[in-house]
Amino acid sequence: MTKKIFRSMLLLSMIVLVAAIGGVMGVLYHYFSENMSDTLRSEAMYLAVAVDDEGTGYLERLPAQTERITLIDGDGTVIYDNMADPSNMENHADRVEVKEAMERGYGESSRYSGTLSERTMYYAIRLSSGQVLRVANTHYTVFTLFGGLISPIVLILAGMLILSAVISSRVSRRIVEPMNVLDLDHLDQVPVYDELVPFVTKISRQKKTIKRQLADAKKQQEEFSVITENMQEGFLVIDSETEVLSFNKSALKLLHADYFAPKQSVLTLNRSEAFCQAVEAALGGEHTEAVLELGQKRCQLIANPVWEKKTVKGAILILIDVTEKMDREHLRREFTANVSHELKTPLTSISGYAEIIQNGFVRPEDVGKFAGKIFEESQRLITLVNDIIRISQLDEGLMPYEHEEIDLYEEAKETLVHLEPAARHRGISLSLNGEHFYISSVRTILHEVLFNLCDNAVKYNKENGSVRVTVGRQDGHVTLTVEDTGIGIPQEDQERVFERFYRVDKSHSREIGGTGLGLSIVKHGAASMGATIDMKSTLGEGTAITLRFPLAVETAQPDGPEQH
Amino acid sequence: MRLRFDRQLNWLHVELIKLGSLCEKAIALSARVLEARSDEVIDEILGVAAQIKAKEKELESYCMMLLLKQQPVAKDFREISAALKMVSDLERIGDQAADIADLSRHIRGETVHGLLHINDMAEATVKMVTASVDAFVKGNLQLAEKVMEDDDIVDSLFNQIKDELICMIQEKRIEAESALDLLMAAKYLERIGDHAVNLAEWVEYSVTGKRKNNEVPQNLW
Repeated sequence: MTKKIFRSMLLLSMIVLVAAIGGVMGVLYHYFSENMSDTLRSEAMYLAVAVDDEGTGYLERLPAQTERITLIDGDGTVIYDNMADPSNMENHADRVEVKEAMERGYGESSRYSGTLSERTMYYAIRLSSGQVLRVANTHYTVFTLFGGLISPIVLILAGMLILSAVISSRVSRRIVEPMNVLDLDHLDQVPVYDELVPFVTKISRQKKTIKRQLADAKKQQEEFSVITENMQEGFLVIDSETEVLSFNKSALKLLHADYFAPKQSVLTLNRSEAFCQAVEAALGGEHTEAVLELGQKRCQLIANPVWEKKTVKGAILILIDVTEKMDREHLRREFTANVSHELKTPLTSISGYAEIIQNGFVRPEDVGKFAGKIFEESQRLITLVNDIIRISQLDEGLMPYEHEEIDLYEEAKETLVHLEPAARHRGISLSLNGEHFYISSVRTILHEVLFNLCDNAVKYNKENGSVRVTVGRQDGHVTLTVEDTGIGIPQEDQERVFERFYRVDKSHSREIGGTGLGLSIVKHGAASMGATIDMKSTLGEGTAITLRFPLAVETAQPDGPEQH
Repeated sequence: MRLRFDRQLNWLHVELIKLGSLCEKAIALSARVLEARSDEVIDEILGVAAQIKAKEKELESYCMMLLLKQQPVAKDFREISAALKMVSDLERIGDQAADIADLSRHIRGETVHGLLHINDMAEATVKMVTASVDAFVKGNLQLAEKVMEDDDIVDSLFNQIKDELICMIQEKRIEAESALDLLMAAKYLERIGDHAVNLAEWVEYSVTGKRKNNEVPQNLW
């Protein structure tokens, strides 16, 4: 900017300078020439009068002059010259001014010297004697004058250069300064000159737009990260070089990475074959799904390519923890297989007995016995179907769900009364200890749970063993413990006995007559009542299962232990 | 230009991870094959070993190309030269895994396995390879250190297996042929452990520029 201003300024002053010099010189030169020719003429006239009166002797008496005075005879011969010897001078008859003077009485002309640096003006006048008197003066031409002016002009030019440099830098600084000190954050409060106002307004408007767009973008980014960070699913975005562009915490957690440095390949997180292949396929433009084994867990990996103008720019990887889902699926398959098996066994017996009777292989007196067997097996089938129905109801939450205040002690007593005959049959003693506690529960479910627990305690007991039921209170919970002196559950099976159809001793199940669903019903029933189950068991010594109910009402009625 | 070079280095890194993953797979499979012979698995191992070999050649020439065309210095140079060395160590691991698979065809008598510690050794070696590849992937020096320490476990297991085999041969409880094959397999595992240590050392070199027990003499020229 400074340079531009400086240049235009210098150009302007040069033009002015040249014009001024040219103008002044033209006018002055013209004026001086006029003046000189006037002087010459009048001088010539005076001399002519004097010479006319006194003859040539007058001229010789004249003191030395700057002008050159020549007297020329009628034929052109020089008679007198005050600056040269007349005898050496050539004939002047053909000189313009002399010729004119001869004809008209006067004549004038001007001639440049050989170097053009000087110009000589002549004025000639005819005397009455026919002789011609010529006066000449020499003066410098424009060029000579100009030559004399060169050094002051150069001085002025130098001064101009300096001056325009100073002024232009000042001016440009003054123009640019408000822009330099422009506080872009507070554009409204900046004092600027008028020409800058539209510029500043536009900037401030654009600045506001940018600010708003930035805020929008930031907000969107935040929304996005809030969504991804709170996702259970792992989420990864990678570019075509497998470099991770974005990821969430769940992804790191699922891939067992506690830390991830940005700008790294996704393969640093997991390099298993399935993962590599899925990433490669996605970057090749294919939607892929794979299941990854990650330690104890299983993850479903969904890899989707990201297309942009027919080229794959990257991929989106989604990781879903499917461990539970797959486990459940496994359980469901097992359940279906178990149910079919359990249903088939009694049906095969029934069909077998019936076939034998039908074919007449049975003596009439034995038919009753066979019918008994068929009845037994059908009863078993009915129990099984009932159990399955009950457990599905518990599972689906279809059981009647009316909560009421129930005295746990009374309920346990009732259950034991039901089991009394079966227990007596095997010489097992039943005992009930504790106090009356009320819990809020669904009677049918509670009954189901208690019955199954106590029934198991009797069924899986030794001959002449004992079952002890205790109702008590512990840490703000009502507890019910069923202890037996039975066969116990091996350590490795304790986790699994609550599974449907799981049996510790598969070979003896039919003798005992269980369905394999008892503890499963207990588990689901307890869960629907909000109770927790705790099991302690030693193989060969017995099992103690404790249910902890949330306490409903403080209505404990002290009551002595009752024996059954 | 630098951007392009960075991308090339990145590609090399990713490919090395893939190669490492292949080696892990090969050695894990051959450990499995030692435990229970399976012709299918043996074929799979041989396939993986071939893949590893092809990848080694590819990466080797890629490293050479980078060294020639980019004339790397300092850290870049360390990274590429370490990669060049790691590629050959990884290839050796793959090759020896294939050798173990090949040997397992001839080892007879499953009962012998239970008496030997060869499965423990295979397990320890697999762990070492996994850890060394992990160390490379994450640039983790502690993991690399651990690999170097774990080599002693594998070495002592090898000596133990050797003693056990000597005992069995003396008591004529094992066929001489099987005993030799088992010893070879154990030796291969021990070698794989050494290669894993090499890998760990190269990881250390590419990160820190220092090589353990292998200082470059200062007055080389």
